[in-house]
Amino acid sequence: MAEEVTIRRFELSDMDAMMAWASDPQVAAFCRWEPYASTGPLLAFLRDTVLPHPWFRAICVSGAVVGAVSVSPTPERCRGELGYVLARAHWGKGVATATVRRALRDVFAELEPEGLRRVEALVDVGNPASQRVAEKAGFRREGELRRHYWHKGRARDMVMYSFLSSDPLPE
Amino acid sequence: MEVQQGGAPAPAAELVVSLREFTLSDADAEAFMSWASDPRVVRFQRRDAYEHVDQARRYIADHVLPHPWYRAICAGAGAPLPVVGSISVKPGPAEDGRLFRASVGYRVAHAHWGRGVATRAVRAAAEAVFAAWPWLLRLEAVADVENPASQRVLEKAGFVREGVLRKYILLKGRPRDMVMFSIVVDADTDRRRQQNKPDGP
Repeated sequence: MAEEVTIRRFELSDMDAMMAWASDPQVAAFCRWEPYASTGPLLAFLRDTVLPHPWFRAICVSGAVVGAVSVSPTPERCRGELGYVLARAHWGKGVATATVRRALRDVFAELEPEGLRRVEALVDVGNPASQRVAEKAGFRREGELRRHYWHKGRARDMVMYSFLSSDPLPE
Repeated sequence: MEVQQGGAPAPAAELVVSLREFTLSDADAEAFMSWASDPRVVRFQRRDAYEHVDQARRYIADHVLPHPWYRAICAGAGAPLPVVGSISVKPGPAEDGRLFRASVGYRVAHAHWGRGVATRAVRAAAEAVFAAWPWLLRLEAVADVENPASQRVLEKAGFVREGVLRKYILLKGRPRDMVMFSIVVDADTDRRRQQNKPDGP
């Protein structure tokens, strides 16, 4: 792909860029949140959840912020849960796959000393695009966990993927 | 000796397994020690083996009695039936403040392995919690990849095997590969989607 994908820490000044995908119902459809209608709640999310988070990064394409990627703590110290969101204008161009590859490299470099061994991705069975991102990024498909995830009023079947600190890192 | 028409062996004498709540009695603490102090049983548990009955007494008081769902497994002969293991169902984790899943774990004293005690206990526990908790949509259990006996118990108890989750849980500080099993309530029919297995050990 022609444009370079990089990841970096968020800053409060990224809020306007975030609004571009945070307000988009098509983006929010497979996310756990409803589209944001105003900047107040989004600013609160950025300040109270994103900035203090153990690992939350902005996805940049040619320097512009176009999405977010995170690895969140779980009840087990050895495993973290991957999440990502991308503005619709950048779908279908390999940005998500490139992001996840970079995120895996960075998150294990930073958090393996603290015990992180497994990054898992839970993808809705009805979201083949995200399943392909996980597969192209080198995740191993482990199975379908039925009614495992609460999403917008329903318990959903999810595909479980994992990438271990000992798995060969993609380029 | 009976002459059999089909391939099935003659049924074994009926094994009685029942579940009850724990008490603060010395007898229950000592029964608890019969598996909690045994390295063969605790091998696949997070906890190290107990060395003194006071540890069991404290665990029953501080963890078992306040627990949402923790039962003694009683099996064998005599009245009352002796306590030979324990089984617990932990609700959660909740998401968006909503409870919809739970996980089950169990331990049986080594002397009572191989007779179907755990299978009957797990089946009874699953029936009980699905009846007691109308919000429950998914009951899950994990078994270490190196614990095929526990995997067989869960399959015979009607759980569906979903896959191997690599380095999923820390046991005694080491990340272990675990096989994930579940019984779920079907979204469309409200009926349980589980394996139907014939009765038997």
